[in-house]
Amino acid sequence: MQDECDRLELLAKAKQLVESIERKDDASTGELLGTMSIDRERSLFKEVGHLTRQLHDNLSSFALDEQLVGLTGKDIPDAKERLNYVIEMTDDAAHKTLNAIDEILPVTIDMQKKSEELSVNWKRFLSRDLSLEEFKVMSGEISQFLESSCVNTKIVNEKTNEIVLAQGYQDLTGQIIKKVITLVQNVEDSLVDLIRIAGSEDDAAGEQKEEEKGVLEGPVVPGVVVEGAVNSQDEVDDLLSSLGF
Amino acid sequence: MKILVVDDFSTMRRIVKNLLRELDFTNLDEADDGQTAWPKLKAGGYDFLVTDWNMPGMTGIELLKTVRANPETANMPVLMVTAEQKREQIIEAAQAGVNGYIIKPFTAATLKEKIDKIFARSAG
Repeated sequence: MQDECDRLELLAKAKQLVESIERKDDASTGELLGTMSIDRERSLFKEVGHLTRQLHDNLSSFALDEQLVGLTGKDIPDAKERLNYVIEMTDDAAHKTLNAIDEILPVTIDMQKKSEELSVNWKRFLSRDLSLEEFKVMSGEISQFLESSCVNTKIVNEKTNEIVLAQGYQDLTGQIIKKVITLVQNVEDSLVDLIRIAGSEDDAAGEQKEEEKGVLEGPVVPGVVVEGAVNSQDEVDDLLSSLGF
Repeated sequence: MKILVVDDFSTMRRIVKNLLRELDFTNLDEADDGQTAWPKLKAGGYDFLVTDWNMPGMTGIELLKTVRANPETANMPVLMVTAEQKREQIIEAAQAGVNGYIIKPFTAATLKEKIDKIFARSAG
């Protein structure tokens, strides 16, 4: 009924348009063309609106499982955040440790060098090979060495403590990862339920196999079996030497 | 000897560079994936490439294949240091012309051993 009305309205406007073109009334022709195109757009929008509503309703009914809604809407974005935080924390801890080592190494190398030099002269002194002048120089060096040792060992202690503290990331990231493991378990359970409801367990398993091809596995995690993975550097070396390396 | 270390994790680049420095390699440069590494390698001046496999943009295996396909870099020794440890991947790297393959986590001794082996072979 609505369509019939629209058609009659369009026909009336078309007749008016023909008349105004014949009258060579450009202003009226332009106006009529304008209103006709607006009508056209309006009906298109109506159709798009209708389709959008339909899509929205379908999606809502699809996500009726409240647990899945919660998981996809909140928990998975949360988990991504958590895991990003794990990367951030481990990155931070590794850099803190390496920075501390960068400060420790020059100090210990310097102390080692000085103590080696002093030890040579000390041995000469013990075997009475050192002249009085040389002994005076050596005692000055020993005093200096003892003073710098106090400063240097303090630096080493401080930096070592920083390294120890930086390891706190392990505890924190461990807790976060455990939470994510629980979440993954929940997602898995929900998806298994969904597949069972849809009654297409076999198809889904087949698709999963297809997707797994070509995916990089990354580090081998204890408890996770990766088909065709080697377990040690020795196995890598054996495999390569069997290939003529 | 100028070495390019390629890994998307800055900590791993730092660890590899520290270990290389311990082995008296001091001319070191780094890149965070194949896409940033390749222009450097193409520009020349590098003698050795140490690369990870799994990186965004351009992976290590793609970088290796690109290095081998280009006449100017074709003979450059390439050491792969990666967490990828599937047999088919190790074979793929070998076929692409890798000179050494180390799986993470690794030790300083393993790195030294593989580097010594690579240079003993290229010298002999």
